[in-house]
Amino acid sequence: MFDKNKLGQSFPPFTIEVERSKIHELALAIGDDNPIYHNREAAQAAGYQDVPLFPSAPTIFNFWGNTQFGEQLADAGINVMRILHGEEEYEYLAPVYPGDVLTGISTIIDGKSRRGKDGSTMDILTTETRYTNQQHQHVLTARTTVVVRE
Amino acid sequence: MTTETHNPTVQYAEDVQVGDTIPPLVKEPITHLRLVRYAGASGDFNPLHTDPKVGEAIGTGGIIAHGMLIMGFVGQLVSDYVGPQALRKFNVRFKGMTHLDDVITCSGTITKKYELNGETRIVGRVQAADQNGDVKVSGTFEAALPTRS
Repeated sequence: MFDKNKLGQSFPPFTIEVERSKIHELALAIGDDNPIYHNREAAQAAGYQDVPLFPSAPTIFNFWGNTQFGEQLADAGINVMRILHGEEEYEYLAPVYPGDVLTGISTIIDGKSRRGKDGSTMDILTTETRYTNQQHQHVLTARTTVVVRE
Repeated sequence: MTTETHNPTVQYAEDVQVGDTIPPLVKEPITHLRLVRYAGASGDFNPLHTDPKVGEAIGTGGIIAHGMLIMGFVGQLVSDYVGPQALRKFNVRFKGMTHLDDVITCSGTITKKYELNGETRIVGRVQAADQNGDVKVSGTFEAALPTRS
């Protein structure tokens, strides 16, 4: 059962430096061979200041930037072994480039419990992570909704 | 690695109309190796994506792909269409599990075009489905495009 007292709870800030090699690695893993993600010269030839962020790159910041997040969720009473990813959303507010140092703060912004037709219950939980860069500019917001089956 | 430039399908607001179809993207069959590579790239090491014993134990019929890998495929579709820096919003819902050997096709259509704070925004509906037409991911994106004039 989702504890409504957890709404609004934030986790400790984490920082991550945006790295060209991680964008290259993510695009390779996805199988996107667009040279802008693999090579600074190609990105510049296409009009970018440097290698741009791949659309789903914020997932790197989430997992590599905050390797404690699973434990933090567990400490908040969430059974991380019963989690299914329900939704993922990004808002891109300003360009992010390699060398930028992002600070992320994750907050539980929504949570509710639902009873299924078979009588089982599940919690639906949304966290929002706001990322600011080294100039304290808010550049990115990521929202993740997970379903936790009981 | 080629350094040949790879322009987005659309670069200007005038090039897009509501109802336009985004050129589909057909990905290679999902392999175990791809899931291992994706785990390392993304940092999501949940063993249900990489360890067949865990996949069998939890009753998912073997290992399943990271939902975020499939969002990445849709990200490639959107990136090919408008380029990464035109993107303002991108969201998906995860609808079903993707298994080894599934062939994922990403597709989309433009649903809205409007002006916001002096720039032209387009909104599209996107999805990823397997070889049987089962939808794995559906979502929307919003992009800002410059005008030619």
